[in-house]
Amino acid sequence: MRVSKYISKWFPLFALPTLAAFILAFVIPFGMGLYLSFTKFQTVDNAQWVGLQNYVLAFTENSDFINALWFTVRFTVVSVVSVNICAYGLALLLTQALKGTNVFRAIFFLPNLIGGIVLGYVWQLLINGVLQKIASQDLTYNSAYGFWGLVIVVNWQMIGYMMIIYIAAIQNVPGEVQEAAGIDGASFFSKLIHVTIPMTASAVTICTFLTLANCLKLFDQNLALTGGAPQNQTEGLALNIFRTYYNIRNHQGVGQAKAVVFFVFVATIAFFQLRFTRSKEVDG
Amino acid sequence: MKTRRFVFNTVGFLGLLVVSIIWLVPLALVLMNSFKAHTFIRVSPFALPDDASFAGVGNYVSGMGRTGFLIAAGWSLFITVFSVAVIVLVTSMTAWYIARVKAWYTTVLYYLFVFSMIVPFQMVMFTMSKVANVTHLDNPLGIIVLYAGFGAGLSVFIFVGFIRSIPIDIEEAAMIDGASAWRVFFTVIFPILRPTAITVAILNAMWVWNDYLLPYLVIGSDYKTIPIAVQQYMTGAYGQKDMGGFMAMLVVAIVPIIVFYLTSQKHIIKGVAAGAVKG
Amino acid sequence: MTIKTRIVGAGIALALALSAAGCGGSGEEQVYFLNFKPEVAEVYDKIVAAYEEETGVKVKVVTAASGTYEQTLSSEIAKRNPPTIFQINGPVGYGSWSDYTADMKDSDFYAALSDKSLAVTSGDGVYGVPYVVEGYGIIYNKAIMDKYFAMPNKAAAANSIDDINSFAHLKAVVEDMQAKKADLGINGVFSATSLSPGEDWRWQTHLANVPFSYEFTANGTDVSGTPAEVTFQYGDNMQQLFDLYLNNSTTEKGQLGSKTVDDSMSEFALGQSAMVQNGNWGWNQVAGVQGNTVQAENVGFLPLYMGMAGEETQGICIGTENYFSINAKVSPELQQQSLDFLYWLFSSEKGKQFVTEDLKFIAPFTTFTDADQPNDPLAQSVSAWMNKPGVTSVSWDAMKIFPSQQWKDGFGANLLSYAQGSMEWSAVSEDAVTSWKAQAEAAG
Repeated sequence: MRVSKYISKWFPLFALPTLAAFILAFVIPFGMGLYLSFTKFQTVDNAQWVGLQNYVLAFTENSDFINALWFTVRFTVVSVVSVNICAYGLALLLTQALKGTNVFRAIFFLPNLIGGIVLGYVWQLLINGVLQKIASQDLTYNSAYGFWGLVIVVNWQMIGYMMIIYIAAIQNVPGEVQEAAGIDGASFFSKLIHVTIPMTASAVTICTFLTLANCLKLFDQNLALTGGAPQNQTEGLALNIFRTYYNIRNHQGVGQAKAVVFFVFVATIAFFQLRFTRSKEVDG
Repeated sequence: MKTRRFVFNTVGFLGLLVVSIIWLVPLALVLMNSFKAHTFIRVSPFALPDDASFAGVGNYVSGMGRTGFLIAAGWSLFITVFSVAVIVLVTSMTAWYIARVKAWYTTVLYYLFVFSMIVPFQMVMFTMSKVANVTHLDNPLGIIVLYAGFGAGLSVFIFVGFIRSIPIDIEEAAMIDGASAWRVFFTVIFPILRPTAITVAILNAMWVWNDYLLPYLVIGSDYKTIPIAVQQYMTGAYGQKDMGGFMAMLVVAIVPIIVFYLTSQKHIIKGVAAGAVKG
Repeated sequence: MTIKTRIVGAGIALALALSAAGCGGSGEEQVYFLNFKPEVAEVYDKIVAAYEEETGVKVKVVTAASGTYEQTLSSEIAKRNPPTIFQINGPVGYGSWSDYTADMKDSDFYAALSDKSLAVTSGDGVYGVPYVVEGYGIIYNKAIMDKYFAMPNKAAAANSIDDINSFAHLKAVVEDMQAKKADLGINGVFSATSLSPGEDWRWQTHLANVPFSYEFTANGTDVSGTPAEVTFQYGDNMQQLFDLYLNNSTTEKGQLGSKTVDDSMSEFALGQSAMVQNGNWGWNQVAGVQGNTVQAENVGFLPLYMGMAGEETQGICIGTENYFSINAKVSPELQQQSLDFLYWLFSSEKGKQFVTEDLKFIAPFTTFTDADQPNDPLAQSVSAWMNKPGVTSVSWDAMKIFPSQQWKDGFGANLLSYAQGSMEWSAVSEDAVTSWKAQAEAAG
């Protein structure tokens, strides 16, 4: 509490610069975006108030939005689990005294260094190549291909990212704690469960949240890999919103309303996820 | 015990080797095709370059020429370096404030930052470019402010997470000694945060370096970063896409960021080692 | 620490200097053209340099990245110094942007338009002026065709490309060629029917334009806006030609969902196929690419024959989706300066030279004579078809009033399912009609 009081008067120096930028770059545009979801508009300058009409249309016009929501949920559940398990496993391995850990870390991190869209196309080539060899089909043939294709691409891209956060966390576990556990003769797994994972719980919170947010927002890879084919069955939420915006005339407002619904949905899930994992953290 | 360790290490090493080779396949495909002529990439993407399809460094030369690559790289570098520096500095300070000051407004701030991460960019892109235009932030310096604001969510979130795991006794001791909050932060906290700060720097550098939509909408009409230049000059109407040029530019654009990553990684390890000695 | 401080200091100084320079550049109001065609972005840079040299007027050109024009325009037009010249794609585009389009009926630029019926109008106002005429059909490689016609064992009646003037002839030639593909040295007659999402516009827009064009003519439909309902009564004709593409292709049906337009054009350029449906813009995907085997004198267009009554007089599809509009929200002076620039580009000797030689546009203006034509072979084939006696071109009017991109994408996805065998043609046809109605209503 002493520390809290000591620091709190430094608000202008510590918090204000970030807050000012945040308000300009995010809060104001977000507020305007909220307003636009209740209007009919072509550009930011010529909006006309239409009330709740956009929200009604978002759900009633066709079932695509609901389908996209469901696709996104299934995809997110699978990916969050697989990305985090793989990333944590890699981080554990790469903090051991193994040969070439630096090179391995760099290799696993590499996919992140390149933007999403082009790699989506490269993966499309690869997966289609494999499917053509074994089944003489392609990604558009079956929605399961698209679903698992996306899971693979996202795992490939995100594992390295989460891995470096986990590595930073594991390295933050004080050496003496690890050693003490080692002297006690604890096996690798009991050390993992009783020492390492609890000590890195904050990183688990961070990483599950980040994968969750990124999977729910998935756009580039979705567009590049499947484009929704076949028959929009692999269309995620962000892609659906984008297409409502640009591909249906006079539907910018509806797209904006869908984005707001999307935001509320993601915010709710994220809020509960944060509360859940935070409650598992050891207090620092 | 020793032999078990050895077996573990060997198995681990071999496993990692196999996985990392699989990991590199897509990137190898990019590298290989960057030396092939456009039509051949299209017709036979998996074939190695042969006499007919080998384009030498042609894709690199034409790609760099057509995209005005050096100028674009200059802008990308400028924006990335300063955005990342500003983000790391201001958000680590803010995160410390949020993590340590127990008050309703820090909780609100924290959740605001967290929720900004889950807003799809498409929802704010037009309004943000409008705000940037009205406030005259639509230039390479102003966009740094936008990046600081838009990147604040992720960075504050990560910093707060790590700061909460630092025992508060360290700060208390320093404050009893009479050091100002400013000094405590820069001499005590920031050094502890160094590995995290570098992690945050890497994540943000990747994002800013590769970001397309934000700079395109905000400053794209006057200043082109690498992703904008590549997207703009390598694709044409009616689905024309210069795949050779695309792949070559991808290879070139990735080099600076790999160098940055490798240098930073060395620092993370050094920082950790230094901490271990102190402990 | 001191070195770091110095670096930071120097950085900030540099940043300030740069931003000061940056602000100066985009400060004043000026003629600003938001270009739609990325493939000619570099040409426009040369054009505005020449214009500034001649008149002293500075024109800013910004090119929207491919596929992002609407997005870019939405963002740019709400800014301080918005585009003064932008592009719309016809009546549908005018519907979206009517708040921003100025009336051009009194301008020299509009006065020079050779066929006034081509412009986008509303009431007595003129809101979009077309600046390029394009054509599409089936592009053939004459070298391969001649090789076939010279074969002693050929089964089709036609003896030269000129004898193919109906679907029946086309089908006979194509199917016989496909049977003899090994002797002809090709993988298939037609390049892959690219049906990958976003790469299917050659079918869901361009091919579909033909049956809808016939339908609107037959039913006397008003084509100045999207009709509320359609019948797709000539859908079966479209199916005939589409089947011909699918069955006589370089690529198995199961793999069409991964093919792109660029793939198809590459196959054609490498001589792996003899025909490909595309437009005159496709020439630069063929000419000059490494490995190209197609000679300039060997390419030409065939019309999209699909078994319509009297199709012997049907020409290729000719029209435009590219119209210039002037931003009504900028000052009248700036609007006039923008029109002056456009008029200069399409009427002065220097401007015209850029248009034909560099932009390679077939320009629909009275200021262009027969001599002022681009020299690429497909553009010349388009001109030849336009002027061919006894032949009527199919206009692009139908595709310009397709209800939305969403409708086109849905139709394309159905065509893919049809090609993969998971959807009957009757279902494709039915869905085209019902979703047209829904989309036309939604756009309302």
